[in-house]
Formats: sequence, C-alpha cells, structure tokens
Amino acid sequence: MLLFRSEEHVDRWCKAWNLPRGAVLSPDQTWGLAQAWHSADRRDPAWRRRTVEETEEVFRGLGLDGAFWQLR
Amino acid sequence: MPTPEQTDLTVRAAVYDSVMSRSKPFTARELSQALDLPLAEAKASLERLASGRVLVLQPESREVLMAPPFSAIPTPFAVLAAGRVYFGNCIWDALGIPAMLGCDARVETSCGCCGEAMSMSVEGRALQAPEGLVHFAIPARRWWEDIVYS
Repeated sequence: MLLFRSEEHVDRWCKAWNLPRGAVLSPDQTWGLAQAWHSADRRDPAWRRRTVEETEEVFRGLGLDGAFWQLR
Repeated sequence: MPTPEQTDLTVRAAVYDSVMSRSKPFTARELSQALDLPLAEAKASLERLASGRVLVLQPESREVLMAPPFSAIPTPFAVLAAGRVYFGNCIWDALGIPAMLGCDARVETSCGCCGEAMSMSVEGRALQAPEGLVHFAIPARRWWEDIVYS
C-alpha cells in the first residue's frame, strides 16, 4: 500500500509494474482503516485477530465494498 | 509451567512492548533473557505467532520482521512519534502507528511512482490537510499469500 501524488501517478505506477489498478483510497479513508485496524493494544491478553466476518464488517463500515474487499 | 498459549501471550506482549518503547522488537535471544524462557521456547513461540499471522518473521534468521503495524527494519515509511522514529510496513501501517500509540505523528514517505517526498501529519487523532491517494494493489483476500509484497 503506497502513497501517490495523484491518480495519474497511480496509473503510471500500475503500467510500469504491469499490474491492474487495485483500490484507491483517500488519505482520510486510509486513516479510518488504520484506526479501525490498529488502535487495539496487542499487549492485552484479550486481544485476538479478527475473524473473517469481523474484518468484512470493518471494511463495510468504512464504505469499502466490492470484490476487491471480499475475503471469501 | 505455562502452556504454549500462555507463553505466546507473554511473548506477544514483550514483542510489542519492545517495539513501542525502543522502535525495535526483541530478538529471540532478548525475549529469552527478558522472559526467562529457554531460547528454543522463545523461538517456538515466535513461529507459532507467525503461523497465527500475528507476527511476520524474517525468512532466514526467523527474527521478527513485522509486528504490525511496526516494521523491525527501516522502510520508506518513517513515522516520527512520541520522540522516536518508527517504521511502518506500508502507508496504511505507518498511519496505524499513531493509531496504536494514541499520539500525534508525522509520516515521512514519498510518491510510490516518482519518488517525490510526501508527508502526512496526525494531530489530535485527525489527519491534517492530507494530500495524495493511497493505492492498494492486492485484493484483500490475497494479502496473506505474500504479506511482505502486499
């Protein structure tokens, strides 16, 4: 997951690496995802990885839907 | 005698404690010494935590490579936070560091395409005047096929 200056730079990078365009998020969406994903204290014995269902719920809550964000 | 599950909780906490307080996770030997564990048990615990996708280990040394969102080695995603320099594994993880630490931060990186310097600042739990776009190249269900590449 890389930061780019603009859509044009994303497209140029995808072309250079011969990769299809993936998902493009705004910095604010990425910050929301970072907060949802990483805020928990992993030193806490009660912490555990999310289930597939819980992860999909996080994506949906941030408006990240469609095939790119599906886990199954 | 702790169970493997209990050992893993202790090792996980020690790995995160170390990376949060000094920017580098404990090595297996440091874990062994800090937790008074036989070295083989510390190494076995790291392997179990990697199998459970809690940590990512380096391919040869089997030391910690990633304790998400932290990278154990320098990356192009430097995070200045709480008076330290941390490294994220990607731009998402770089923003995850102030999220986890609960503090302000500045992320120093560059455009993935052209290398132009770019930065992001988090102040008061909000992103300040963000610029640019974040590209996720790999669909979510394939991230763990090769998490280092992802």
